[in-house]
Amino acid sequence: MIALPLSALIVGFLAVYLCLPAVPPRWADYVAIAILAGLDALVGALRNWLERRFDEAIFVSGFFANMVLAALLAYFGDKLGVDLYLAVVVALGIRIFNNLGRTRALFVTARVEARRARTAAAQ
Amino acid sequence: MATILAQRKHWIISMTVVCLVLGGLLGVQVHTQQARGLTEVGRQTGALISRLTEAEAQLDKQQEEIERLRGLLAEYEQEAASEKGLVRLMTEELGNARIALGLIPVRGPGIVLELADSTMMAGGEFGGQDVYVIHDFDLVQIANELWAAGAEAISINGQRLVSGSAITCSARLIKVNDVTISGPFTLKAIGNKKNLMSALNIRDGALDRLRVLQFQVKLMPEDEIVVPPISVGSRYEYAQPFQKEEKQ
Repeated sequence: MIALPLSALIVGFLAVYLCLPAVPPRWADYVAIAILAGLDALVGALRNWLERRFDEAIFVSGFFANMVLAALLAYFGDKLGVDLYLAVVVALGIRIFNNLGRTRALFVTARVEARRARTAAAQ
Repeated sequence: MATILAQRKHWIISMTVVCLVLGGLLGVQVHTQQARGLTEVGRQTGALISRLTEAEAQLDKQQEEIERLRGLLAEYEQEAASEKGLVRLMTEELGNARIALGLIPVRGPGIVLELADSTMMAGGEFGGQDVYVIHDFDLVQIANELWAAGAEAISINGQRLVSGSAITCSARLIKVNDVTISGPFTLKAIGNKKNLMSALNIRDGALDRLRVLQFQVKLMPEDEIVVPPISVGSRYEYAQPFQKEEKQ
């Protein structure tokens, strides 16, 4: 079930890495921001899935919209001479860490509850 | 059951699309970073570093060129000196011209002046710190006094003053001949010791003003001082010799 998305990740990476030229360096920051936003959406989806409130439409729209918005925000920040780039990096970084922590907690709780249920069943 | 399965399939497809896009973006970024790592270090530092090393290399090359040309000049001069008469006279004239241009080190009697910022720096009674540090105009004033008193060669922190020398200030740094110097300052001047001393020590003169504000001023006459040559010679790009023949 996870194999298909995972292989898509690798295929996408290799296809672009091997076939497309590098983008101009001044774009690199915006691409980095977009990647961060995409990662944030992915981790958020994982958490929502564990909390059983995963919604596909919200996930897909959030993934693309956040990516574009984050890059746009950084771009306008540069145009205005404000380092909004840093604000986006910090905000997304904190969100990713929060969601990862929450995901870990949910995993552990699920494990503990499963074991408790098993011992209860055995008794 | 069937609906759950269908939902699941859907979910995997959208996840796959998302992962494909994310993978592509990662590919772009890794590629770009690899290309960028070769030319730049950070967002800005890299470019500045490379510009600095470039400028330093250029400076080295130009200084080598100066050395080469000076050697050549000395060679010509030696050849010329071995001949007699008019050539000898011209050699002498050339020697004087080179002293005036500051191309060669010169020695003779004169004065050495050591200058450092005021000891009243911290907690001074007047305005900011500006009052208690040595400025470009202080050095200009002292150099002018020395020239006026008949100094024949002057240097500030090893920078020879010649006809085209500028003493300027940019961003709180003093530049002499376009070379940045910083305190404490040592001025050397060759000339009549007595005249030079009295020119600087004149009442209400440059040093008097500095002494009142407790600048560290040390003025000494010396029997033998050496003033170094100018480090970068002047080039004449626009000025050309002009002879007024017809109106004589």
